[in-house]
This record gives sequence, C-alpha cells and structure tokens, in this order.
Amino acid sequence: MSILLISTCSEKLCEREFVNPIAEIVQSKSKQILHYTECTAKAVSTADKILICGTSLQDNLYRNDCKMFTTLLSRFKKPILGICSGMQIVCSIFEDKIVENIEIGMIEVETLKDNKLSDGKFQAYSIHNYSVDDLKFFIVLARSENSIQIIKHKSRQIFGVSFHPEVRNQKIIDNFLQI
Amino acid sequence: MRLAVLFSGGKDSYLALQYASIDHEISCLLTLESQNDDSWMFHTPAIEWTKLQAKSMEFSHIVSKTSGVKEKELDDLHSIIMSAVLEYSIEGIVTGAIASVYQSTRIQRICNALDLWCFNPLWQMSQRKLLEKLLSNKIISIITGVAAEPFSDNWLGRTIDSKCVKELISLESEYGINPAGEGGEIESFVINAPLFQKPINIVESRKHYSNFSGRLEIMEAFLE
Repeated sequence: MSILLISTCSEKLCEREFVNPIAEIVQSKSKQILHYTECTAKAVSTADKILICGTSLQDNLYRNDCKMFTTLLSRFKKPILGICSGMQIVCSIFEDKIVENIEIGMIEVETLKDNKLSDGKFQAYSIHNYSVDDLKFFIVLARSENSIQIIKHKSRQIFGVSFHPEVRNQKIIDNFLQI
Repeated sequence: MRLAVLFSGGKDSYLALQYASIDHEISCLLTLESQNDDSWMFHTPAIEWTKLQAKSMEFSHIVSKTSGVKEKELDDLHSIIMSAVLEYSIEGIVTGAIASVYQSTRIQRICNALDLWCFNPLWQMSQRKLLEKLLSNKIISIITGVAAEPFSDNWLGRTIDSKCVKELISLESEYGINPAGEGGEIESFVINAPLFQKPINIVESRKHYSNFSGRLEIMEAFLE
C-alpha cells in the first residue's frame, strides 16, 4: 500500500516533531513524505492513502495556501486523514468553518458515533490555536468539552482529527491505515 | 530564526541543539539550576558544568537558579525565557523533550503566551533510535546519574558508547527500563560532540550512591 504523508510545516525543524513520529507509525514500505509545496498531482494520484500532518502552534503559513490543497486533493477519492492543521485543511477544501480555539495539553475526548477510528472516552494530546465548527460537509465523530475532535466527511472517506494521535493514541493512525 | 535552547548539558538537550543549529541561529543556551534533585521539569546532575560546555561551543549562556518546586519552577522558566527575549530577541525555544507531556505542555504554554516558536526535535523519538543517533552523530556523553534497578555504582561515569548502548538495551526487556533514561533511570553529561571546539576533560569526580540510586559529582574539569 502506498502512503503519502504531507507536511504542513513551514520550518524543517518542526517536521522532526510533527511528521517523523507519524512516519514511524506508518510502517508501509511504500511511504513517501512530501511538503505540500512539493506535492504533485502525480504523487497524489499514486497514493492509496494520504495523511496530512500537523505543525507547530506558531506556524500558520499553511492557512494561506488552502487553495493549493483544494487543487491537489479535491479529486482524490481514497482515504485521507488530516491531523490538527490537516483537519483544518480538509475542512477548508469544502469551505467548512475554521475557528480560533486554543487547546494545549491533555484533554478528554468522547466518541459520539460508532466509527472506524475511535471508541469510548480517552485522553488525547492537543496543541492547536484553531479548530473547526458549524460543519456542513462533515459529521462529528468525537469531541472534547470545548471543541470538535474527530470528523468524517458525509460521503467520502475523509477524516480529521484535531488532537495529535501520534502521542498516546497511535491506534487511531493504525485504524486509519486499516480502512 | 534566532533560537534559545533549554540546555541541561545532557545528551537529549545537546542533540536537540545540534538539530536546531542546522538551519537556525542559536542565540543562547538557557540553563536552570534546580535546587530540587527530583525536579519534574529540569535535569539536575552536573548542571553547574554546563558553563564549560557553552564555552566549548562558544554559545552565550544564561543561567539562573530555580527552587525546583513543582509549578513554581515554571515561573523561573518563564523568567529565563524572557531574559533571552530581552537580551537576544529570540523568536523561539528548543527543548530536548521526548515523551513527557507534562514538560512539553508547560513549555508550549509559556512559548505561546510569549508568541515564541517552540521546537521539540526529539519528540516521540524511540529510546533505541535516540541512542543510535548519539552514536551515529559521535556525541560522547557519560552517565552522571542512575535511579533504577539494576544500576550499580559502576555505571556512574561510564561513557555511553556502543558497548554501553547494547547493555542498556538488554536491560530493557529484563528490568523494563527505558534504555535512554526517559523515565529518569539514567542522566547524562556530554563531554564531546560535533559542536564542541574542545572536549571536556573530567579530572576529578566523586560518586554518591545507595540502593540503585546515585549521581556523579564532577569536582574538577577543564577544556582540553
């Protein structure tokens, strides 16, 4: 299975923190890591699954380039998982709403609907200044007291996770890879 | 970007520093000397000798003391970071945090409040990979603290070389220790590494050890 990991980090140093841990979990031999500015239509078309990784709290450059993601990903019909900034990006592709919402540290997440990624209540590591709200194209699968935490597109296999599953919730990434 | 590195002198903060120095300007090292040997936030053995490491690497170095009292030490961390902002106009902080959500959450909150970037280049790195990185990057460190069975006093002062790494890894399955010491099982002090202009020669040291817990007190050391 060919897995494409897309970095949203504007600083290379951030990739050690936000991309490398996910690359360690994704054991596929056919794994490609590309920054979104280097990502081509060909790289996307040959992938079986795509993970869009998160980035640092101070890193908001990706927000200026959401149209680039729309061009790259809107025709991709296979599963996508957006993590943190990646979740904001998958929502922005469908013009769903991104809102300011600071969460730093461990939070309790409650699964609201049966789904392929999570179940029950669990603790998760969260670090973001933005989240999503008032979704038209996605259903909410799990949330914390303050915000939406896991979403799925209403008709496609596109998921978003607001917290960082690579910390203490690697199973969520494993579950996505099994889809 | 101008960065300050939270620097304890151990292998983790050194490796984080080395990674950060690839693409960024290191404006200064920041060291908090904790008066609490069991600090939740800060590595303690041999901390006073970080000045020699900073000198060898020719980095500016801000040192301040902290009581090491849980949560109170965060005020001291905030203060030392503010000193770096005022003195060096830093734009971000680098830490050697690997798995501690407690540490990283608190540092991230301080950085966010000060509008600083926070870089944790070792974040979630496996213990084995970290040890491999030390060897492949030719980072020479010694063990300055132990706090778990089966560590005897013979481990204090030992160089973390390939033989030592093999032994640490073998202890993982038998005793459940984190081989790179993430759980506080071992503490380290870097004596030579690629960013050092001169290695540190430890002339005299003293072991303090009892019941699987001990530290190496460095009495005299100099740059060769």
